[in-house]
Amino acid sequence: MRNRLLWILWIAATLALAGVAFARLYVGGDRSAFLPGETAGVHHQIELACETCHTSKPFASQAKIRKDINKTCVSCHKEELKTANDSHPIKKFKNPRMAAYWDKVDARFCTSCHLEHQPELAAPGLVTLPGDFCVACHSTGDQDVRKNRPTHADLTFDTCASSGCHNYHDNRALYEDFLIKHADQPWLADTPVHGPGVLARARPRPDADEITAYLAQIPAQIPAGLVTLDRDPDIDAHWAASAHAAADVGCADCHAPKSDTPEQIEANWVAAPAEKVCASCHKSQAKTFALGRHGMRRHPELAKPRKAKKMLKRLGIEAPSDSLIALTESFLADATPPGQMSTSDARVDLHDDLPAHDLTCSTCHDPHEQDLAKAAVDACLSCHADEHSQSYLDSPHHALWQAELAGDLPPGSGVTCATCHMPQSEKRGEVTTSHNQSDTLRPNEKMIRPTCLSCHSLAFSIDALADPALVQSNFQGQPHRHVDSIDWATSRVDQPEKGANQ
Amino acid sequence: MRALSGKIKAGILGGAVALSGLSATATAQADGMDYETVTDLLHLVMSSDRTVYTRMIVNRLSVDEKVITASEHFIDDKALVLPAQMFRFGAEMVAEETDEFSYSLLSLWPINKQNAPTTPLETEGLEYIAENPGENFYGEEELGGTTYFTAVYPDIAVAEACYVCHNEHKDSPRTDFEGGDVMGGVVIRIPMDG
Repeated sequence: MRNRLLWILWIAATLALAGVAFARLYVGGDRSAFLPGETAGVHHQIELACETCHTSKPFASQAKIRKDINKTCVSCHKEELKTANDSHPIKKFKNPRMAAYWDKVDARFCTSCHLEHQPELAAPGLVTLPGDFCVACHSTGDQDVRKNRPTHADLTFDTCASSGCHNYHDNRALYEDFLIKHADQPWLADTPVHGPGVLARARPRPDADEITAYLAQIPAQIPAGLVTLDRDPDIDAHWAASAHAAADVGCADCHAPKSDTPEQIEANWVAAPAEKVCASCHKSQAKTFALGRHGMRRHPELAKPRKAKKMLKRLGIEAPSDSLIALTESFLADATPPGQMSTSDARVDLHDDLPAHDLTCSTCHDPHEQDLAKAAVDACLSCHADEHSQSYLDSPHHALWQAELAGDLPPGSGVTCATCHMPQSEKRGEVTTSHNQSDTLRPNEKMIRPTCLSCHSLAFSIDALADPALVQSNFQGQPHRHVDSIDWATSRVDQPEKGANQ
Repeated sequence: MRALSGKIKAGILGGAVALSGLSATATAQADGMDYETVTDLLHLVMSSDRTVYTRMIVNRLSVDEKVITASEHFIDDKALVLPAQMFRFGAEMVAEETDEFSYSLLSLWPINKQNAPTTPLETEGLEYIAENPGENFYGEEELGGTTYFTAVYPDIAVAEACYVCHNEHKDSPRTDFEGGDVMGGVVIRIPMDG
């Protein structure tokens, strides 16, 4: 009798425990206990939105799961691969003639090289293969690089992707004919300026008299009913000097959008507009911000938090009562990440005494004052405490920026954090700043074309980026490494100035 | 139009003739066209488009009129896409859409080493079409657990641009091509299982 009771108790407890686990998985609540292993890099920001990457139905085949995960990878990384002119695109390996290679490294699937939840295997860039992975395909037969390139005869395969010579995906600045075309250049250009920066920073800042005169001649911006607002006296002047004023974007356009009459403005006034107001005009900035590390929790393809009502329906409860929904929500509040990143979540070196705060547009941009020095340098250094960031203030790039701010050098001469990490581009006279701060980050050769080559030679750029100590010191001095790639490429042609394939 | 339909008939006829010497499985398609006819027709479209692009775009503009070059790095060099790339980009786009068939442009003398043969049947087919001008090659092979009908068609130097570039390129393993030579082959595959 006693034994039977214990058995019943044991089964009931097991079922109850299984029920709780099941509810956490499929209904809502904190699922961090189900994480099979720490995610790599910045994926931790979205790791609890499991359905972002895991879209396959339960019990799907391994082949289907691998294909589905490919799709979720490119939902965020597609633009990056397209811009990179991917050297090993998946489509290249789908042809059955590549079947022999599928057994070596199956390049049809992202997960063959990038395996998530395996922190003990993950190298930078979430590469989970040993560093000599090129050996799998490029060491035999027609593909043997040692045979095709005498300069490579004595090289080992662990150096292909680690020496500054090759990347698996992005070789825009490293391919042979590009090396040849950019050989024999001086390390620093005669007029070292960043083209789009010249355009973007060319607009002179109006002086105090101009601002006063401008403010006197425009109609009142704030309705009479709101004049009692507690206002910073500098706001008017800051705004009047900004590009917003130049583009006739007034107070109500942000504080009371879609309001025409003074009455409407007064009724709809919001003291601190949310960032969606910024994004309604600055679309490209908002889009690129959501692709980078700072803003990735805003990415439109992320799985949304699980709504209790929807999940109960999925469990077969067609019309859940409000009380059941409330009960479910109170016990199983979804810990799917909020839409913003907080500095408290960061896993990079930040200042110890940094108060936790979410990153929004106004973290780096004062909403009224157009302050490039803040947005391009000061805001970055207010959080980032790693050696490279903090060394910037002593770097030659910072000295140039100071000289440009002082008016001693022409616009576009200064090199800020943003110059390299948020490159600007020009299209039809319009300059756009990429707000994806990770785009040129890793592998760092991605930075060469959009950034370094504006002022430096290709040879200097490759050498500098391949010298970790120089990167740490924020480029104070000359590279102590020399990468042979340009020398080897030019040794294969008679006339270095003439590109191949012409 | 008449010439074109004549060509198609010839293609089908040529396929049917060649079929008689092949294994029975290749012909066992009672419901529709046999594999060989399908690959022959596919190849006819491919080779026609390829010849038009090579002659009327690349050869005319870069060799005859010299108004623009053709380059592997066509974006950086603001140049025309090379004919081989034009063909490959199409093949890759097809690969993204379907597994029902696949095709590629290969050679025993490839500038880009990824276009060297990778299977024994590819090597055999490329050698056969090089040694037997005017003939196609058909066979079957198993790749990655699937059996494929594989057809290899000669790819001919149809314009000066073809052989001049291949003879002068620093990565070209062969530098004595002439107009009309078989420079490589188009390989078309259709999975035969299911």
